[in-house]
Amino acid sequence: MSITARRPVLEFDDVTKVYTTGDLSVAALQNISLTVAEREVIVVMGPSGAGKTTFLTIAGALMRPTSGRVVISGTDVTALDERRLPKVRQEKIGFIFQSFNLLEALSALQNVELVMETRGVTGRGAKARAQELLSMVGIDRQRNNLPKQLSGGQKQRVAIARALANNPDLVLADEPTANLDSQRGREIMELLRMVAKELGKTVVAVSHDLRIRELADRVLWLEDGQFRDISDEQVHKSLHD
Amino acid sequence: MSIVTRQNLLAEKTRFFISVGGVALSVFLISFLLSLFRGWQLSVGRFVEKVDADVWVARDGTTDFLNAASVLPGEMEADLEAVPGVAAVDSLIVRPMNVDVEGTEQSMHLVGYEVDGGAGGPPKVTKGRGPPGPGEVIVDDAFADKAGVGIGDALETGGHRLEIVGISSGGNLIFSQTSFVSLETARETLSMDGLSTFFLIHTDDGADAEQVSADVMAAAPIVGAFPSNQFAKATRDRIMKNLIPILFVILLLAFVVGVAITGLTIYNATVEKQREYGILKAIGFTNGYLFRLVLEQSLATGILGFLIGGVATVVAAQFIADLVPQFVTLVRWQDFIFVFVATIVMAIIAAMLPVRRLATVDPVAVFSG
Repeated sequence: MSITARRPVLEFDDVTKVYTTGDLSVAALQNISLTVAEREVIVVMGPSGAGKTTFLTIAGALMRPTSGRVVISGTDVTALDERRLPKVRQEKIGFIFQSFNLLEALSALQNVELVMETRGVTGRGAKARAQELLSMVGIDRQRNNLPKQLSGGQKQRVAIARALANNPDLVLADEPTANLDSQRGREIMELLRMVAKELGKTVVAVSHDLRIRELADRVLWLEDGQFRDISDEQVHKSLHD
Repeated sequence: MSIVTRQNLLAEKTRFFISVGGVALSVFLISFLLSLFRGWQLSVGRFVEKVDADVWVARDGTTDFLNAASVLPGEMEADLEAVPGVAAVDSLIVRPMNVDVEGTEQSMHLVGYEVDGGAGGPPKVTKGRGPPGPGEVIVDDAFADKAGVGIGDALETGGHRLEIVGISSGGNLIFSQTSFVSLETARETLSMDGLSTFFLIHTDDGADAEQVSADVMAAAPIVGAFPSNQFAKATRDRIMKNLIPILFVILLLAFVVGVAITGLTIYNATVEKQREYGILKAIGFTNGYLFRLVLEQSLATGILGFLIGGVATVVAAQFIADLVPQFVTLVRWQDFIFVFVATIVMAIIAAMLPVRRLATVDPVAVFSG
């Protein structure tokens, strides 16, 4: 069975995003179409200013496209009222950030528990699930540590557990290895791959990190707001220029 | 309460205590002023209420006990006794005055009453003896504290010497205190031979004090006559009507101080944690949920401040009158309910200050790395 035959989790249909400031308009994404299936890991790469963050924030239902349609787990989020988007993010999407973005006042365990509050899961149930997820990502002994007491790799593991807390279909990762050394970066990508393959999630990461390409099912090159086919040499040149 | 609320409050302990302290101070000011207001309200009219009389008669134009400028001829007593419904009449002399206590001037209300069973004497003699004989005086305990005098000491005025033979309670008029002498001593001391300030009427059983008052005024046009409760109210109003606007302004200022301190600390905390609120928005928390987090922090601050301020009020009210006799307080649970509601309103207003800021937090900003 091929990957594309699996249930689509993220669909971009002719999506364009134009930023307008005064008389100036800049197209960050131009007529992008893409389908990402369940259990798939894709990495979107591209030079700075290529539109990667815009792509990720539209995929995360945090920003609306200027035109086109975005469907997440069967829900056309472009047709939804603005006030309903937080619920889509709660239920269908988990986020992983470059700078981890854990809440500094909360322990690792509480950071994971917190997300479940949005869906009314609190108390022992939330705690048990948070402990289970932290164990899965290898944070057992440090679960009561504050973020400042964790290394970068440990913080990103906590962030992955947090992203999975509400059991979303889609995990979006923004430069998940950028603040980590190569060893920790690889471990994080292996963990994300495990999340896709064993837990059945769809992982979409945007990254500059060439080292993680081998762990992706697909690598997409985004440049000037469009996906392009380019050679490995061109990728190297473009990212290192 | 959300874990974010709990941890945010405890993570910034100094700020939290400053904020709680601000609310506690505000609650203390509000509840202490209210207890002072209640205490004064009770004390000012209580002496008049306790006097065993049904109708007070004063010179026309004198409407209360404190403004005792009334002068009535003594022979009017017989005319009043002839009014229908009047059972008995007592004379009373009241004069606000200064006395010399070991070289220091002290203000008081000198009250001369008929010591052989007349009304208007000391409500309760707590030390020494009563009634006072010629040249003797019984002073209110608040006056004794204020002037630093006791039994055996003397008050001097206009060449007269009054020896303190007793201490009484229940005669603190807040801005002045009552001191009791016999009617004859008062007349001699104040050069009011054959004169009275008030006549106190005891009505016949079943007689209507309002009707008797009206009949007295009809029979003697130079006087005003007031049922006892009206006279007490007029006495109370003289003080309280002047105090209420001042108290109201101070209460309002205390409330504003509470809102300002809580509001600023909550606002600053929100601005400092703007990025964290952006993260929460990105992962699916709504603006309403974020507002709830801020409101919870504000309410927790307010409630803790209320408890501390409330306890401080009760403790201060116990001891303050010993230090400053004018600070008569009455702590009522009904007032604490009012202060609690004011504290909750304070917390809600404080939480609303950063609402606009919360609403404009852009979750996309957390992707900037």
